[in-house]
Amino acid sequence: MTAAKAILNDTTRCTGCEKCVSACKRENGLAKDLPRRWKLRIDDLSSTRFTTIQRREDGRPVRRMCLHCLEPACVSACIVGALQKRPDGPVIYDGDRCMGCRYCMMACPFGIPRYEWEQPVPYVRKCILCYHRLDQGKLPACVEACPEKATIFGDRDQLLAEAERRIRDQPARYRNTVFGRDEVGGTSVLYVSDLDLGFLSWKPDLEAQALPDLTWAALGKVPTIVLTMGGLMTGAWWLIGRRNKLAAEAAAAKEQETAAPAVKPKTGEKS
Amino acid sequence: MTRRLTALKTVLWLLAGVLGLLTVVRFLRGLGATTALTDTAPWGFWIAFDVMSGVALAAGGFVVAATVYIFGRERYRAFARPAILTAFLGYAAVAVGLLYDLGLPWHILNPVAHPQHHSVLFEVAMCVMLYLTVLFLEFSPVILEHPRLQRPLLVRIHHALKKVTIPLVIAGIVLSTLHQSSLGSLFLIAPYRLHPLWYSPYIWVLFFTSAVALGLAMVISESFFSAWLFGHKPRRELLANLGRAASFVLLLYVALRLGDLAARGQLARALEPTGHAALFWLELGVSALLPALLLQLPRVRSASGGLFGSAALIVFGMIGYRFDVCIVAFARPEDMPYFPSWMEIAVSVGIVAAAMIVFVFFVEHLRVYPPERLPSDPCAERAGTVNSRLSTLDAPPGPETVRPLLVGPAAAPRRYSLALVLGASLAVALLPATALFGEQVQRTPVAAPRMLDVLRLPASGRPAALVLPGDLELRTAGLGPRPALLAASRPERRGSVAEGDPGLPGGHTQGEPVRALLLDADRDGRTVLFAHDAHVERAGGETSCGRCHHQNLPFDRASSCGSCHADMFLVSDTFRHQRHVERLGGNASCTGCHDGAEGAKTRAKARACDDCHRDMVVADSVVAPRAGGLDGHAVGYMDAVHGLCVSCHEREVAARPGELPDTLADCGTCHGREDPGRLRRQGPYLPHSARRAQGLSTLDPRPSTRGPRAAPGPYRVGARPAE
Repeated sequence: MTAAKAILNDTTRCTGCEKCVSACKRENGLAKDLPRRWKLRIDDLSSTRFTTIQRREDGRPVRRMCLHCLEPACVSACIVGALQKRPDGPVIYDGDRCMGCRYCMMACPFGIPRYEWEQPVPYVRKCILCYHRLDQGKLPACVEACPEKATIFGDRDQLLAEAERRIRDQPARYRNTVFGRDEVGGTSVLYVSDLDLGFLSWKPDLEAQALPDLTWAALGKVPTIVLTMGGLMTGAWWLIGRRNKLAAEAAAAKEQETAAPAVKPKTGEKS
Repeated sequence: MTRRLTALKTVLWLLAGVLGLLTVVRFLRGLGATTALTDTAPWGFWIAFDVMSGVALAAGGFVVAATVYIFGRERYRAFARPAILTAFLGYAAVAVGLLYDLGLPWHILNPVAHPQHHSVLFEVAMCVMLYLTVLFLEFSPVILEHPRLQRPLLVRIHHALKKVTIPLVIAGIVLSTLHQSSLGSLFLIAPYRLHPLWYSPYIWVLFFTSAVALGLAMVISESFFSAWLFGHKPRRELLANLGRAASFVLLLYVALRLGDLAARGQLARALEPTGHAALFWLELGVSALLPALLLQLPRVRSASGGLFGSAALIVFGMIGYRFDVCIVAFARPEDMPYFPSWMEIAVSVGIVAAAMIVFVFFVEHLRVYPPERLPSDPCAERAGTVNSRLSTLDAPPGPETVRPLLVGPAAAPRRYSLALVLGASLAVALLPATALFGEQVQRTPVAAPRMLDVLRLPASGRPAALVLPGDLELRTAGLGPRPALLAASRPERRGSVAEGDPGLPGGHTQGEPVRALLLDADRDGRTVLFAHDAHVERAGGETSCGRCHHQNLPFDRASSCGSCHADMFLVSDTFRHQRHVERLGGNASCTGCHDGAEGAKTRAKARACDDCHRDMVVADSVVAPRAGGLDGHAVGYMDAVHGLCVSCHEREVAARPGELPDTLADCGTCHGREDPGRLRRQGPYLPHSARRAQGLSTLDPRPSTRGPRAAPGPYRVGARPAE
């Protein structure tokens, strides 16, 4: 098995030159960004922009991209397995399987998957960690393009160690946390920063629990529900049916006793 | 009564016509052009209404089936057929609605081919598919008892189906339990998006309980509606019992909902004065609290209005619950709210209308409702049983009793066809441009650019002056070393400047006619003179159009000159007027620099600096003087530093490969490392040799000695970081 790869983003090194963005666009053949109804900001992630440089309030750049969670919510949500997590890290997408339900977009805690709304035959688009380049032994296009080494690629363990080393060596420069080590069960894209990176997800302060587990807590009860409900219903039907039948018979017998030439009551209505 | 039916069917066909046209538009133009969906609102009205609410509204099928077949309440058997038919059509509508919502609807069977059993949606899809089959089998005896279908094979199938009624009903109940609750489980994956007042690890229990109550409410409201429509008498006392049952289920639901909030410690959040808390109480009140209390009152229960009103409250409230979970309480950016387009709503309404057309068709041609009888009829309870397949169609309210609005033998089909076509035409008339021509790129309105003929006055050796007609408001501030813009003040000269105009300033009588472009560059309705040719030349020739013309950003009022001329405000004035006055001889010396005694003594009417200061430019300066010569303004800081440093870095890297790092000329060498995302404050420029001599690294920037981020201030050349 290949070692789990990862990307480490160091926002203190990023100068916001957007060479990663243009390299990504070139590599993945993405069209020009156009302002559209669903794309108010031209530098927002979209079906034509898998990674982007987001400016914080004071103008500092932070790169956004798919975080390639270790236990991805989108993969667990995908009804047809069009999204898959590869053992070496990337969360990849197979458009031939996708049926366009967009549950992945609802599920992602980082709001990453984007849709080709303008297309009559639309697909989900997101960063695929250039897995086709990884297969050729190359770096992801964005990593290769970064002139500042603000984004680096390697084994996840080693990058975690590197991130910790940087924080240890320059404690004044970084917050004492590696974003992505534990968030939603850990991600394959890590960040070290002097900023609070809570804005990368829908809510700040993500917990360490992997999101698919939340679903599984309910989904795992399905066999129990089937057996319980089926058993209950069958039992109720049998019991109540029998009680009704007995009651009808008793009533008929009583009727026969009291009024001898009574008409035989109709039975067998139930079936 | 039949008139009501005719009118309703006409309206339904009209809505179906709208649906038909929108179907074409939806599949030709895609989701972006027809819906209001965005990347942050990937699920909208179609999922919330067609799927979430549709499935829940069809819950009457399994609730009534359980009541009648499992719990042996034979009195309610009359409700079974319409409830099962409603459920079947409801689920069929869900499936059809889903086809509109799915991006790739032709892949709708992919879950069977590529199952992914960790997905809640997979479970929902499987259950809905199976339950649709079960409902079809449950309802098919009603079809098979039609007199025209009494063929041997069909009769045998009919008998076989009746034998498996109970297993089918049990399967239906189990499947319904599963997917009614799983519709809630769908949102378990989004704890960070769904508001805590709605997100619960037990949301699936809430969805199931509310679906049971909703199923009962649907049976009640549907009975009243069909009674009104077909002229039956609603079985009020039985419906009242159902209402009572619904109220108990609702009370359980309220207890579960509030208990869950309390257990999660979120009850306080519901009492805060927030919009979400208000929505929560409104939804809970309408969907459960109010109807539950109303239905507890025998007086309300026994009155048609009270019963129907309470049921309607439950229906609307529970649909609201699903909308809240799916849309309203689901986080999205504030600047991208979601409100459905009319086409989304019309498609959903159209699908419901189509389902109702089929429902009415079935009622007219099959024995969905028991035959008419008096409420006191002793065999009333038995009348609708599955067994009685004889004497069907005793008095179906058929189309023959409908009074035709259009004359002729085929009046009804004609009327409905007309409604269909009218509906489609109505939809065409209402279609927005996006639906017709596809989703367009957003535009920001700007004042149209204007071309004007102006005269350029010949003025030797100095910037020329332009004379403009007086009806234009021109922004001259901040233009700096530009030709003087002399707005003509006299109104009679508006709009035209003739050659030889005696009113031209400076005594000139003729000039060179040129065309000037006036632009509303800041999108504030005011124009500036814009040197288009110069911009093309500077920006890199004909291929450079995109550098400016891509800036039609939506809502972007700042897409202006300043978005390119970022350093234009950093230009600093090096000219000290007072010193020149003193040295050149006081007030007598004005005309030594300024142009003539008359007119304003502005910079524009002064000699250029290098007229006197011939030695001002250092012989081999690395900073290229700006075109047009020195005019008293220093180049902007960014221009100066980039011109000075970057070009040298590039030259040196190229000259000494291997010795110097490749990244020396990269942006980040100066920007960002120490002072993230900002220009670094550089010390005075030192050549490499000097840096080495002082023991400074020539590659790595000095470690920042500044503490926490300082407030942003102006960038100053030569400001040394505080040691």
